[in-house]
Amino acid sequence: MSITDNMAAAPAPPVLQAQGVTMVFGGLTALNNVSLSLGKGEIVGLIGPNGAGKTTFFNCLTGLYLPSRGRVLLDGSQLAADPSKVTIAGVARTFQNIRLFPNMTVLENVMVGRHSRMRQDPISTLLRLPAFHRGERAARERSRELLEFVGLTRAEHEVARNLPYGDQRRLEIARALATDPKVLLLDEPTAGMNPQETEATRQLIFAIRDTGVSVVVIEHDIKFIFGLCDKVSVLVQGELLVEGTPEVVRADPRVVEAYLGKPPEEVEADVRAASTEHDTRGEA
Amino acid sequence: MTILNRFSGSGALGRHLKPAHAKPLTAAGGVLAVVAALLPWVTFLLGDGAYPAKATLQFFDAPFAVEGYRLHVLLLGLAALVVTFVAKTPGRGRVLRALGWGVFAISLISAVFITGRGGGLGAITAADGVTAFGSIVGVVAGLLIVLGAKAGHLDDIPEWSTDLPRWAAYLALVVAFVGVLYLVASMLTAGGTGGASNPYAGPIFLAFLGMAGGLLGALNGLGVVRWISALSEKHRAFSIVVLLVCALALPLTSAGNEYWMTVATTIGVYAATAIGLNIVVGLAGLLDLGYVAFMGIGAFVAANLSGAAAAKVGIDLPFPLAALLAAAIAGVIGAIVGSPTLRVRGDYLAIVTLAFGEIFTKSAQNNIGGLTGGSNAIPGIPNVEVAGTAFNEPITVLGADLPGGVLYYFMIVLVVGAIMAVFANLKNSRIGRAWIAIREDEDAARAMGIKTGKAKILAFLAGATLAGLAGAIFAHKLSTSSYESFKFLESVTLLAAVILGGMGTIPGAVLGASLLFVLPEKLREFDEYRLLVFGLALILIMRFRPQGLMPDRVRRAELAGETAGGKSIEEEEELVVEHEHEAPGPKGGKA
Repeated sequence: MSITDNMAAAPAPPVLQAQGVTMVFGGLTALNNVSLSLGKGEIVGLIGPNGAGKTTFFNCLTGLYLPSRGRVLLDGSQLAADPSKVTIAGVARTFQNIRLFPNMTVLENVMVGRHSRMRQDPISTLLRLPAFHRGERAARERSRELLEFVGLTRAEHEVARNLPYGDQRRLEIARALATDPKVLLLDEPTAGMNPQETEATRQLIFAIRDTGVSVVVIEHDIKFIFGLCDKVSVLVQGELLVEGTPEVVRADPRVVEAYLGKPPEEVEADVRAASTEHDTRGEA
Repeated sequence: MTILNRFSGSGALGRHLKPAHAKPLTAAGGVLAVVAALLPWVTFLLGDGAYPAKATLQFFDAPFAVEGYRLHVLLLGLAALVVTFVAKTPGRGRVLRALGWGVFAISLISAVFITGRGGGLGAITAADGVTAFGSIVGVVAGLLIVLGAKAGHLDDIPEWSTDLPRWAAYLALVVAFVGVLYLVASMLTAGGTGGASNPYAGPIFLAFLGMAGGLLGALNGLGVVRWISALSEKHRAFSIVVLLVCALALPLTSAGNEYWMTVATTIGVYAATAIGLNIVVGLAGLLDLGYVAFMGIGAFVAANLSGAAAAKVGIDLPFPLAALLAAAIAGVIGAIVGSPTLRVRGDYLAIVTLAFGEIFTKSAQNNIGGLTGGSNAIPGIPNVEVAGTAFNEPITVLGADLPGGVLYYFMIVLVVGAIMAVFANLKNSRIGRAWIAIREDEDAARAMGIKTGKAKILAFLAGATLAGLAGAIFAHKLSTSSYESFKFLESVTLLAAVILGGMGTIPGAVLGASLLFVLPEKLREFDEYRLLVFGLALILIMRFRPQGLMPDRVRRAELAGETAGGKSIEEEEELVVEHEHEAPGPKGGKA
């Protein structure tokens, strides 16, 4: 929990800003006027009960949905409603249900992440000119660095589908990092992990933050979020309920109430139980 | 399902067998195979003359004159005996299994054929005081060997070291590729030309396939196939040169006459097209059911630019230029057709491409714009000429007389080689990875910054360009270009070639195209049945080898459920069951 030093640092100008994002599906308002601001090197958590609109908000940030109202800015310029353009602009993501390229090797998966950061013209590709080899080598080296960073060097040539669960999650993070993001969005990075793996993930996210990447995390595991994030936003029924440091959020009676009116310890147990159902039910 | 399991010996029957049964079973099977080869196979003289190698008591009339398919049964049987008793090679179980299936296939094909011809089972048992149990004994022998192999331990395919001195590696590669050349030449000519003049072409060819399959399976079990492919990977440049030389040497083999050169050229054209389709289907995962239309576009463009009298556009361009234009136009149309399909996925994409294929055929049939000649086709396309030599003329190179059509064959070999290089270079590049990523998970690919629309159009463009080029050669070779050559059935056959051979691999596409376009030639005599046999063969192959004949490393893992050691999951499970039996514990339950 000792992240107070970090909070004390001077506030940097926001990297990612969501301003009054509203998302309406037919007659259903999934998100109502949600704002979020993320500084450079900050870790922001997004929590809330099932159906609160966390994933919808995520999809607005990653360009999968175009918000009905409001806008999302990266370094002051608006993001397009197109996932590939959002990624190219510098917002990378992982998926709640792991979505690797299962039949490609670990290294190839990460190299796909380099796609938008490398150039290859058709002539040098077809004729295997030196320019092609230079580009490939650079992409391969960067990918290997990232695999080393997440600790998957040994599995480089394995087919992704054969990796253990925790390694698949880490590979997804390495693949997202390969797009050289300014902001990394993690959708339930510890779902299905045991305590050791969860702790390793926490350390990994800190390490990512230390490279200057800002991180947004959706999680059900409240203890994990409070131990990780500089700021926490609580979404309830599509609206932003509370926003602030973990201490502020934890102490806020509305948050406690939103989680079934129980003290935090019990809330946590509840949410854990709920998260097991989560995969099958999905969110609005 | 259970019947098929039983049939393949991997089901209940396989489980009742104990390792102790292995040796007696394979030994008995081997002996029976040898006996079968020496027994008579037919009780009567077939109407069209004796079945090849006079399937009667010929061995006793003319000792050591066992030939044809019976020689193959004999050799496979002897090999099974040698592997059982003398050379206890690693991977023995797999070798025996392949040999057994070979004996079984050859015998079954002959049995079915003779029974059909003779009008009943009397033809392969006993009739009019003559006995001929050869085929039945052969079938039993094959099954016994397979069962014996399954009863024993199916060990891993051994890995052989590729750390050889350079000369040894080169020698091994040359021997292997010359072997492949010999096999290809024998397979092309096996059974001779199909048709009324040679009613036995079909069964002889199929039996030869049984032999070739058994042999290759055995070599695979020995780890030789893997070893050679690892060696050729290591010495890539050398392998390409040798392979090219071997391909160009085909006219010097038994396949060196005009007829086989024509067949080989046609196969080459379809192989080139199949590799193009492999980009669209195998790499990018876009199911295209109208692909042959692009080949048609290439053919009609080339026909119109060839100076043929019947062509509306009377321009006479030199062939290389016309071929490039044909490829370019097909590619552009491919991109145009591809763009509206970006919003549809999977089944819907297949329907849209199917519709495009139909639009093309119908337009060509109705002579839209007078460009296709309608039902009259565009005949009289002149032969390609270089320095006054037309490509259909026989030539003499360094004192060797080569048959007519050999220049077309040389051209298609070079074109297929170039297209292989294009495919390989695209596959292992930024765009190739993007295609595969789209095939694997389109949403995740977009989240990685891949502009999926652009990548898909590029896949259509690349595939259509290659098909257009192949079409241009096709038109000149046939000297006519008709809509009939580019119907839906051709698209399906091409797709089947890609899937049968193994999605996403080059040798797979070439092998698939060869098989699918040679089989109908050989089965001509069985006109009314040939599509039936063809379909049946496809079903069987897809049931027993869903990953294709020459699968991609990962395709193999996905569809055959193979583990890293090259074993199937079924086999692994069987191993586990065995271990549970060996170790008495709470789990070791009933058999």
